[in-house]
Amino acid sequence: MKFLPLIWRNAVRNRLRTLLTLAGIAFLLFVLIFVMTGLSEIQAWEGVAATHRRVVVQHSEGLMADVPIELENFLKGDVIAPHAEHVCKFNWFGGYYQDPKNWPPEFAVDHVAMRPLFDELKYSDDAYKRFCETKTAALCGISLMKKYDWKVGKRITLIGTFYPVNLELDIVGEFTTQNPRQEEQMFFRWDYLDELLQGKKIVSTYWMKARSDEDIPKLKELIDAHTKNSSAPTETITEKEFAAQFMQMMGNIKAIVAGVGAMVLLIMIMMTANTMAMAARERVTEVAVMRTLGFTAGQILSIIVAESLLVSMLGAAVAIGGSLFFFNVVKFSPSPIYFPVFLVEPRTVVVALGAAFACGVLSSLVPAVRASRRKISEGLRQVV
Amino acid sequence: MGAPVVRVQGVSKTYYRDQTPVPVLEGIDLEVQEGEFVALMGPSGSGKSTLLNLIAGIDRASSGRVEVAGSELSGMSERSLAGFRSRHIGFIFQLYNLIPVLTAFENVELPLLLTPLSKAARATHVMTALDVVGLADRKEHTPRQLSGGQEQRVAIARAIVTDPTLLLADEPTGDLDKKSEEEILDLLKRLNTEFKKAIVMVTHDPKAAARASRTVMLEKGALVTKA
Repeated sequence: MKFLPLIWRNAVRNRLRTLLTLAGIAFLLFVLIFVMTGLSEIQAWEGVAATHRRVVVQHSEGLMADVPIELENFLKGDVIAPHAEHVCKFNWFGGYYQDPKNWPPEFAVDHVAMRPLFDELKYSDDAYKRFCETKTAALCGISLMKKYDWKVGKRITLIGTFYPVNLELDIVGEFTTQNPRQEEQMFFRWDYLDELLQGKKIVSTYWMKARSDEDIPKLKELIDAHTKNSSAPTETITEKEFAAQFMQMMGNIKAIVAGVGAMVLLIMIMMTANTMAMAARERVTEVAVMRTLGFTAGQILSIIVAESLLVSMLGAAVAIGGSLFFFNVVKFSPSPIYFPVFLVEPRTVVVALGAAFACGVLSSLVPAVRASRRKISEGLRQVV
Repeated sequence: MGAPVVRVQGVSKTYYRDQTPVPVLEGIDLEVQEGEFVALMGPSGSGKSTLLNLIAGIDRASSGRVEVAGSELSGMSERSLAGFRSRHIGFIFQLYNLIPVLTAFENVELPLLLTPLSKAARATHVMTALDVVGLADRKEHTPRQLSGGQEQRVAIARAIVTDPTLLLADEPTGDLDKKSEEEILDLLKRLNTEFKKAIVMVTHDPKAAARASRTVMLEKGALVTKA
């Protein structure tokens, strides 16, 4: 601690250089936090999807094709019933609220099957009663309600982009759940959407709940075999696989994150190493003087590494503070469609701190070792 | 008379330039007694600074023994030498070599950071040292805000703040004007007479050497005179 003033003064000796290095580190760490948060949001969705034994039936060509409504009879019939229950139509509407920047995740569902199928959502019996009684009803997550300052009883309009219709919805209730990401969603009735679409009976996917984990492979086998030779063959997948597939539309995110992370760390180390090398070179004589006064090589090494650590950790503080403010406090999302919430997780903060620490140590190690090992008499003769 | 503070016996030092040996000191014998003020004179390249560095424990002799304050330096590890320097040696450089980002107070405090003294005790020691050199009122000034003479006085305060056994000065007035030179030499003399500090001072200047109680001449790496 008593060396702290010395470390601080040395760190800010060349203010512009330190400021630029700090800003560079902060920017790169911000990029790292950004991509890592994207990845953790994807994994969070996959985590939600993995816990409820829900199975999704979609067209084998993916989400761009629909499944025939006639399939519903088979899914509710005697062949499937022993393995699954609560069969529910499920369409992503893809509309915006007031401004194309506002994309609440809205889903058209069967109002009867919806409650037992998504039993993790908590809302009052009254709300559900109104949802069943009112064709234009909508149930909204509590975060979404807060985000747009919606109240129960309010009528909202969602402008269709994917479907050529606009929804006039009456909010009849709000729900909470353990995962804050689900509280950004809203549900409305599929029959209302179908009415607006003049009875075209468009179904994007069917969702159902497997009776046990062992039933899941059986369901995949039975359903896909049934549709195999039809005009609309299906692919039956778990909700987790569905979520992963949805996110894969953005590319191999995990590989991108790993690549960006490695690149960020490398650039940070090179940039800080350059600064520290310059700083150490400028102070050859000073280091020799300090060693003449009795500082050991280890103490000199520690002081130089600590100086580098100070700069990189300050950069981390700026990046982490800024990210938490933008994403967790202001609730900014870079893509409201893909990321209704974009929350920096504690583990991302830990990784950013770890990267800053590694950068601080690794970038200063070579100049610090060289400075501490240089012969004192040579250092005293050096003219900088 | 007690044991000498410095005892140099048969010391040689050879540097290597592209594997070619360059002898700098050969067969040096020298003793400095407690409270003695020795001037080390000689032309450039005669090995004065090298000898001073050997006595300070910042360089090692190629052969021979260097004993300072009862410690034989050649067998000591780098870490032990660092401890030895912090306890026994106060070094004054020609170019002052203050740390530019630290104030006068902080520069003088620097060697005390290696001791277990509390912050308050360090402050007391620092102010005492700055009082001795007459710069207590400049304690918050950085080296850039001080004149050359003042900088050297701060450097002397830094050298004496740990109350070392021996003060080593390498051309301490070499970069100063006449007036400052006189002030620094007066100060060194005072440290020697009033505080009984043993001093070894390298100098080119006979007038500076005249302040010492003894002058030692070096020429081509060998002692030629003992005055």
